[in-house]
Amino acid sequence: MKKPAKTHKIKMMEAQLATKLNRQVVGSLVGCVHCGMCNDCCHYVLSHPDDPKMTPSYKADQVRKLFKANHDWTGSVFPWWVGADKAALTDDDLEELKDIAFGTCTNCRRCTINCPMGVDTATLNRLMRGLLTNVGVMPEGVRVVSKDQWELGNQMGVLKEDYIDTLEWMSEELEEDLGHGEAEIPIDKAGAKIMYAINPREVKYDPRTIKEAALIFWAAGEDWTMPTEGWDNTNFGLFSGDDGLGGASAKREYDKARELGVDKIVISECGHGYRSTRHEGVNWSGDAEPFPMESSVMTMLRYIKEGKIVVDPSKNSQRVTFHDSCNNARSCGFYEEPRELLRLVTTDFQEMYPNRAEGFCCTGGGGAMSMSEYTPRRLKSGEIKANQIRATGAEVVVTSCHNCVDGLGDVIKHYELGCEVKQLVDLVANALVLEECAVMKGRPATAAAPEAPAPTAEVEEAAAPVVAVEAPLAGRKILVVDDEEDIRTFLVTVFEDAGAEVMEASDGDECIEKAKTYKPDIISLDLSMPGKSGVDAFVELRKTAETESIPVCVVTGHPEFRQVIYDRPVPPPEGYLNKPVDEDKLVAYVAHIVETKEEKAN
Amino acid sequence: MHESSSLLHTAEVVHWAALIIMAVVYSLRLRWLFKFKPGADKSAPGAPDRTDKERGAFYSLFNVAMPWSMESTRKGFAFYLTFVIFHLGVVAGISLAFLSTITPNLVANPVFAWICGSTLFLAFLVALYRVFRRLFTPVMKLISTPDDYFSLFMLTAWFGLGAVTQAHLAGVQGFESVNILVAYLFLTSFFLIYVPFSKISHYLYYPFTRIWIGRALGHRGSYPIVRG
Ligand code: SF4
Ligand code: SF4
Repeated sequence: MKKPAKTHKIKMMEAQLATKLNRQVVGSLVGCVHCGMCNDCCHYVLSHPDDPKMTPSYKADQVRKLFKANHDWTGSVFPWWVGADKAALTDDDLEELKDIAFGTCTNCRRCTINCPMGVDTATLNRLMRGLLTNVGVMPEGVRVVSKDQWELGNQMGVLKEDYIDTLEWMSEELEEDLGHGEAEIPIDKAGAKIMYAINPREVKYDPRTIKEAALIFWAAGEDWTMPTEGWDNTNFGLFSGDDGLGGASAKREYDKARELGVDKIVISECGHGYRSTRHEGVNWSGDAEPFPMESSVMTMLRYIKEGKIVVDPSKNSQRVTFHDSCNNARSCGFYEEPRELLRLVTTDFQEMYPNRAEGFCCTGGGGAMSMSEYTPRRLKSGEIKANQIRATGAEVVVTSCHNCVDGLGDVIKHYELGCEVKQLVDLVANALVLEECAVMKGRPATAAAPEAPAPTAEVEEAAAPVVAVEAPLAGRKILVVDDEEDIRTFLVTVFEDAGAEVMEASDGDECIEKAKTYKPDIISLDLSMPGKSGVDAFVELRKTAETESIPVCVVTGHPEFRQVIYDRPVPPPEGYLNKPVDEDKLVAYVAHIVETKEEKAN
Repeated sequence: MHESSSLLHTAEVVHWAALIIMAVVYSLRLRWLFKFKPGADKSAPGAPDRTDKERGAFYSLFNVAMPWSMESTRKGFAFYLTFVIFHLGVVAGISLAFLSTITPNLVANPVFAWICGSTLFLAFLVALYRVFRRLFTPVMKLISTPDDYFSLFMLTAWFGLGAVTQAHLAGVQGFESVNILVAYLFLTSFFLIYVPFSKISHYLYYPFTRIWIGRALGHRGSYPIVRG
């Protein structure tokens, strides 16, 4: 049968491949002997034993074939002999390559450290992703997130005013907690010692971690600031394989740090953010002078060692285990510090096996959280992680990565492990003994204990925004959409107790109808419902003139619907909470969304 | 004995010529590899107290001799053993081919014959197992190319013929025909010429790929791997 001619896209990929080759990459391309030893190291293989296509070398072979067909001696003359005749030729082939490169590998590098030949399969997979991205072939979520990071400087499409507003909100929360405004988050403070760069997920869906970090910086007496630009430590270039985006994103951070004249960038707990900012960004951006950079885990550990903050581990007495982010542990050698810190702020730490550089992926690596089309496979691949966690008997899984928080959260929910995920910043903030921290030195004893209630044993509660007024939702109209009656009742009760007027709907069609007639101030929307799903209802709400501006807070127990955040044809929801939800957090969050919208409107 | 055979003489000459061809092609291969620009990590060392590029490279290069260092060899220790035997078989086979032309007395020595012969025989058995594995395991079938199959079939035959040749050189009854050695030398010659164009050339790249990944991960602080 006559072979089809190469399409223009394939030719472009081949041309780009030539520019990406260096000795190390070529070494990995020519070094594989197809021995299969990396097979059992991959979480996709272990959870899909009947699918040979999950094996790491098959994934790497996709770009290897392209290489062999164009650069290898034998492959150029006898392509069929080395499998180069099976290299992609048509645009349909590219769709299959997309599914392999993005949907069957999280670039976790576990196979890399288990290959006797030193073949870096994860790097080859990232190379393939980059070639595909370059010709516009990528999952929709990757496209959306990359576009946001190029255009807005952060991968979650957070507008500058929303970011600043969130920082101010957290400053207010701190003021309420502490009874004074000393811990206010300094924004764009020139000459500060530290610039704190965060993950946009913190702004959008988990601002309490910003508040906790601010509390710790304040307690340590740190001279720090958060920048208005270059604040996103994450970098989708690492996931999409686009070195240009990687360099541009990292440079934004470096340039801002230089502009502010800080001594150091401190990177909040994010595995790929740390790897991209601290290491790869330097290489992608060509920034010759690496800026001093460290993870906030190292910063917090140093504060404790230097006596700048004092912690009481008995405040975190639940059994905890630690999950190593692949990027931190395997690609950055960053695995001892979190353990050291964990032992200082908790009383019952149980190691998970295997761990450190040998740990398994949380399933959310490589940008997997943004590719909802692969969620069922991703969740299946989480079986190995679930078994690891279960064996520890832990009530809390701690990790130093926001991506892992989401990935592990999904695994815990899917496999009904009954534990929760926290980050070190949560535990450190909860364990703080403010009276003895540096900031209190020389102050009268009474000043050490703020009037606000002391943190409780539960970080979640302590960190949840404190409801400052009796009825924070008084006068607000809320539409609660959920097909499960008991959940609807719970949400309605919570909102009514907070002073809101509440209307209910049990499916997507009813939601749209009531949104049009009732004109709520906000919709609390479940995503998984019979009939018209929450996702479809959400898209329709956004596309309908009468409802497009109504804020939506998604409250879901189904991670597979995360596409409303990433893979969206319409603007994302204003809020996104996972079930089960904390009452205080829900009320504060919803109140904040409504207030923010009003402020903008005014 | 073998001086009397002109065929054997031809085989010996071809065999040395093949070695020269292999050396030339390998030099060109390395030149080709080093034509690519080196990848450099300009970032500051990952974990300063644990970071050491050279240590990482050393660890990486010799982890082949440390089966405990990788989960894949730790858990698949039986497979690791077959890997060791297979590669010792290659060393034995090459040694036999060249020593048979340089010092026939040594290869006829009973101790040498036993060591070399049994190594080749064991390698032959391992190679048979590998053929079976590659032909019948779905994963291996999926990732195998004609080059993978041919290289393995050739090595299996070469190990088998090598064991028989050792028996011939040791004067074992029933293996007297000089044609055995002739066939072995011709097969070795083909092997030497073929390998630089096949997957078997991996051993040429091996030190480089291992050192490069070792330096990269050593710089970041993830090599040597720490377990706890
Ligand atoms: S990547 Fe390494 S371990 Fe995996 S098949 Fe290739 S050589 Fe073997
Ligand atoms: S990088 Fe991780 S997910 Fe990808 S093939 Fe290797 S082990 Fe599997």
